Amino acid sequence: MNKRRTTWEWPVIIVVGAFFIVPMLAMTRFAMQRVPMSLLGRDTLFSRWTIRGLMNTISDDQFQPAFLLSVRLGIVTVLVVLALLLPTVLWLHLRAVQWKMAAEIVSLLAYVVPPIALVVGVSGAYRDTVPWIVSTNYGLVPLYAILCLPFAYRTLDAGFAALDLHTLVNASRSLGASWQQTFRKVLIPNLWTAILTTSFLAFAVVMGEFAISSLLLKRTLPTYMVEAQGREPQGAMGVALLLLVLTTVLFMVLGRIQKKSPTSSSQEIRITP
Amino acid sequence: MTEIDFLLKFSPVKEKNVTGGPAGSRASATSGHWSPSLVLPILPYFTFVGLFLLVPTVVLFTKAFRPVTGSTTSAMVEAMSASNRSSFMFSLKLSLYSAILGAIIGFLFALAASRIERPRRLRNLVTGFSGVAANLGGIPLAFAFIASLGAQGLFTRILYHNGIDLYGAGFKIYDFWGIVVVYLYFQIPLMLLVMLPAIDGLRPTWREAAINIGASPFQYWRRVGLPILTPSLLGGTLLLFANAFSAYATAYALSSGGSRLVPVQIRFYLQGNTITGKGNLGYALAAWMVLILLFVMTGYLLLRRRAERWRTA
Repeated sequence: MNKRRTTWEWPVIIVVGAFFIVPMLAMTRFAMQRVPMSLLGRDTLFSRWTIRGLMNTISDDQFQPAFLLSVRLGIVTVLVVLALLLPTVLWLHLRAVQWKMAAEIVSLLAYVVPPIALVVGVSGAYRDTVPWIVSTNYGLVPLYAILCLPFAYRTLDAGFAALDLHTLVNASRSLGASWQQTFRKVLIPNLWTAILTTSFLAFAVVMGEFAISSLLLKRTLPTYMVEAQGREPQGAMGVALLLLVLTTVLFMVLGRIQKKSPTSSSQEIRITP
Repeated sequence: MTEIDFLLKFSPVKEKNVTGGPAGSRASATSGHWSPSLVLPILPYFTFVGLFLLVPTVVLFTKAFRPVTGSTTSAMVEAMSASNRSSFMFSLKLSLYSAILGAIIGFLFALAASRIERPRRLRNLVTGFSGVAANLGGIPLAFAFIASLGAQGLFTRILYHNGIDLYGAGFKIYDFWGIVVVYLYFQIPLMLLVMLPAIDGLRPTWREAAINIGASPFQYWRRVGLPILTPSLLGGTLLLFANAFSAYATAYALSSGGSRLVPVQIRFYLQGNTITGKGNLGYALAAWMVLILLFVMTGYLLLRRRAERWRTA
């Protein structure tokens, strides 16, 4: 491109950037500074910063069960999604190519059924017949897995598409490896980026999910935050900030991993001995 | 809404050259769609989706078409009567405004980020940040805006000290425009993620060709740039619309549950269904949401395909 003087570009970047940064600063201040808004001025800007509110909430005996429940739900959902999709997508690429279109369309349906409609439909369908889905904490897992399906399917599908699958599998099998060994020692190492991406995203989705867990009256981290907001606003704000930081870190790590091994361009094949 | 940026990458996956091999050719030669050995391994997936997505959706619609107790008209019809229609209008209007504003600002943001060449890292910073912000939402986002634009928010106070009284002018973070502003926080980055690849797809040669035959930059944009970007722009707007329309947590937390959004209305009917006998209305509202989203997302995918035409050529 020829050299031009930039005129409007920087103002746009700065204004939009400020719009993104101010809420985060305000949130941090609210969570960590014990100075009422009306007294905040130039001379009180740096006084009375503390993490006591956050600590109070973290040591609250209702926080830990909620936090742990969300973490556990996240881990179980990741495992369910991977266990469900890895063999399926493998088979779709290897043999059942004619079913790929159907599988993909089905996975995209979750974008059309919003979480609120999903939970309404599920409770309508199973409240009387299979009540554990609605009544137990881990009944949330299938619903969360459905929420994760569209992006999980796309990620793993792209991961498999980047491999020369037939050569890999045939080589491994003809050297005498069982299906299990092929899966563990050949496929999984080559799909590592796709698997990690799926896992991180699914975990982040579950950690922040509110609509479903609140409608089914489950005490996950987000429902706890809403509830604690009335009781201990500063602590609730601190926990929300913590969740934001956690999500951001997850995404940053993810960006690093993806940059290191772009699935689409990496042609080399890794096989762990 | 959090994972929706993956839709950006939606395009029919190009078939990897099936290199034949003994396994591949045997499968395609001897078996049709339905042979058990072929279908069995993918059965768990389809069963799972059937049980937890398709069956619930079908049940949702059958209940939605049944009448409410003490009435003969289907709940689907009743769901569009007076009070519910107003909450639909509220949801639709909210999604529309936040989508259009988000699309315009997001497009300008993307254009600005793509035109600034130095510092080099700015572009990476902007895309990296957008990836995170487009996935934000839910409760933490609502909290962040309460802290900055609430009645006692940081930004509200800063404006107040500079002579602008937001709340005196009738602004409330849980009202229509408040929610629109909050939604922009994830709409703008999402639009940027849609538009950056499209803007990158504009080839310098097109611009040079236009300039060579005497076009001004304005004419280039009017006659070449914008027409090529139009499918992406429209598609992005639809995606933003769907994103806002299915969002729930943020508005709920902003208004402490009192908002007039459709999902909040659904919750109201379902929790009171045994008393009021109006549970079917909740199903009907949810069914309408699915229909609207189906319509919008189909439009998005069609436009997306159209937008890709220039990139593959």
